[in-house]
Amino acid sequence: MGRPYGLLRAGYPYLKTLGMRRITNFPLDIAIGDEGRLYILCRNDGAALIRVWSIDDAERLTDDLVGIGSYGSGEGQYTWPVNIIRDADENLYVSDEALHRIVSFSREGEYIGSWGEAGEAEGQLNGPAGIAFDADENMLVVDSLNHRVQKFSREGEFIGGWGSFGDGPGEFDMPWGVTVDELGYVYVVDWRNDRVQKFDSDGEFVFEIGSSGDGPGELNRPAGVAVDRFGDIYVADTGNNRVQLFNEHGRYVQRFIGDSTLSRVARDYMLTNAYPNRLRDMADLEGEKRLRAPKNVRVDDDLMFVPDYRSYRVQVYKNEAIPLDEHQISEPLRAPTLATV
Amino acid sequence: MAKSDLALMAHLLRRAGFGATRDEIEEYAEKGYEDVVEDLVNPERCPPLDEDIISRYYDGENHVIWTSTWMYRMIVTRRPLVEKMALFWHHVFATGAGKVEHGPSMINQIQMFRKHGFGDFRTLLVELSRDPAMIFWLDNNENRLGEPNENYGRELLELFSMGAGNYSEDDIKNASRAFTGWTFTQPIPLYPQGHHPSEFVFKPQEHDYGPKTFLGESGNFDGEDIIDIIVRQEATARFIARHLYNFYVADEPQVPAWPIEPPQDQEAIDAIVQTYFDTGGDMRAIMRMILLSDFFKEARFKKVKSPTELVTGVLKLGGSITAPQPGIGRYQAATGLMGQQLLNPPTVEGWHTGREWIDGGTLNERINFAVEHIGDAEKPGVQEIIRRLGGNGDGGSARLSPEDFTERCLTLAGPLDVGEQTRQTLLDYARSGGTLDLSAPEERGKSVPRVVHMLQMIVSSKEYQFA
Repeated sequence: MGRPYGLLRAGYPYLKTLGMRRITNFPLDIAIGDEGRLYILCRNDGAALIRVWSIDDAERLTDDLVGIGSYGSGEGQYTWPVNIIRDADENLYVSDEALHRIVSFSREGEYIGSWGEAGEAEGQLNGPAGIAFDADENMLVVDSLNHRVQKFSREGEFIGGWGSFGDGPGEFDMPWGVTVDELGYVYVVDWRNDRVQKFDSDGEFVFEIGSSGDGPGELNRPAGVAVDRFGDIYVADTGNNRVQLFNEHGRYVQRFIGDSTLSRVARDYMLTNAYPNRLRDMADLEGEKRLRAPKNVRVDDDLMFVPDYRSYRVQVYKNEAIPLDEHQISEPLRAPTLATV
Repeated sequence: MAKSDLALMAHLLRRAGFGATRDEIEEYAEKGYEDVVEDLVNPERCPPLDEDIISRYYDGENHVIWTSTWMYRMIVTRRPLVEKMALFWHHVFATGAGKVEHGPSMINQIQMFRKHGFGDFRTLLVELSRDPAMIFWLDNNENRLGEPNENYGRELLELFSMGAGNYSEDDIKNASRAFTGWTFTQPIPLYPQGHHPSEFVFKPQEHDYGPKTFLGESGNFDGEDIIDIIVRQEATARFIARHLYNFYVADEPQVPAWPIEPPQDQEAIDAIVQTYFDTGGDMRAIMRMILLSDFFKEARFKKVKSPTELVTGVLKLGGSITAPQPGIGRYQAATGLMGQQLLNPPTVEGWHTGREWIDGGTLNERINFAVEHIGDAEKPGVQEIIRRLGGNGDGGSARLSPEDFTERCLTLAGPLDVGEQTRQTLLDYARSGGTLDLSAPEERGKSVPRVVHMLQMIVSSKEYQFA
């Protein structure tokens, strides 16, 4: 399906919140499975987990929580996981910036394997962070401490790559997140340069988004990026505690600062916890709604998922944009106008 | 470079920081002692910590990550006295996570020490009195008009400024009345979605605006007026001077003994007190004066290392942490086993220091930690010592007599002064293997373990327990 000629941005309201402390501790990333399955990657120093969850959240907190993998350095473990992605079969792949490898699991949690070798030569990794599949299911790996992007087969055979340290086009300073759109373009979050760079599938620079700051369109140590089916670009603007939305040309559109309510499971938990309920009753709750250090953003059809790192939850928004054809939106203007219709 | 210069620089960096690698000691010594002191007391002259890196790799909230991150700061900072002053004030204004479970407030308190620890003492006491962690720790949130809670007022005088015996019970009551209504906002609780910050708030409806008499002065005092009077007292200057001496210069008796046991160096205390009054309680000027003084320079190895100093010093010696790495939580766990869990002192009196750091259990922990850590020949710091012993720089020779082997290891691991018994033990070990030969690969295979073992013996010595 091609991209629409234009969009009527009818709204992008907050939909729901998933998870809570104890279930989704420090969610760093999320992979969207089929039939409402979610794989929430949680990480803190000394603890990490892939929490298997559901778009419906849970009715109550139980002891039967399901996780995949565990903290450590052995088989089927990860120490400093950064990104989680899925393939067409819903197998899961996790980057580990401490162990310099990619580890994979089936959706049932069975360990499949891992690959990756520490170093700075071609095909070696130093602090792999963002990962994404291209249309051929080759994996792009942001090789963060080597300041480059490398492409591997799903099994870890080196294919190619680009980038070096710096702040010019095609250069990086500790890049983090990555995504590939349906046209094959690659978007890399250039963390320490406060920008997102867009490349074609061969690694040729196309454009960049952002500069340092906290104003509209400015970024403060961004970590994650996503592109939806309309070509809109979402950036997890971590240091500014928000997600920013840009159109396919990189023009700033709007921001999401968080609108969270209590998740279903959190409500159930709180109904049997009198003391924190009293404390909440005494507190200013405004800050509770807001995003805190989101480190990635994912889109799936009309839904945007924001792992809300310091708030132990995932905030979900629903895109209500309506595609427009040439009859429904005029041709682009070369300059702003004060004319009315 | 003279060995004495290096030894003095190492002393300065142990006390005003958390130890140093050999390269750092040489780099600083090249600059000159007075200039280094100026850098230490003017931290803005040196590059700040990379906060982005810390938040990228050590984000999150729990006691382990917070204390570990603080230790990481101590080890990698180029502004070591900022962290050392924060640790000093954490000792003096001891606030514990055992009661103050609200981590963000505990962390904010340490950040406040970083920010104001070098300023004037009055500002620091005002900020301390407005600090949510301290307010909760000593119940000032329960201190209201008509229902005073005297806990903070009492400790402010007894443990935070003047010391016991320098005020009356009425002074405590009136000081406490002056701090009524100084409280904090209720934070959103931890469950279900994480900690949120709390802030100081003054509630006029809970404040006692009535007349008060404090230390002989009368007026409608509020908390800041009380602090104004406190910081003018000679007892305050003497109390803080003795704390500074105990932390930075040489071990004193524990605080409760101070009213009955005079300072071991009255002249040093007098000099610090004089600087306090000459500068309006400017901690930067006071620290400069202490670090430049003869009594400080002559106080090498007159302090037992705190667990934090021991662990960070070993990690610096091993060159083990220069960038974030997983599992840093084990180091804060190690200090806990040695009797110092950061952010969680045992009481408001803080940790008992000096020889009270050492008992049979904690000594085992201290030695085991140091020996295990330095026992890894792959550690960069150990590799560097081997390189220097092997003749690559620093005048080393590829073949060392047992005597040179011993002396050079003591120099490179410190420089460390050891007593005759320790030196003889080290020499006996060195002689048991004959000449140390690092010249050829086949000899290195035998010699490197000998170097590692020698370093392990050094860090397990009695003398290494002292700063």
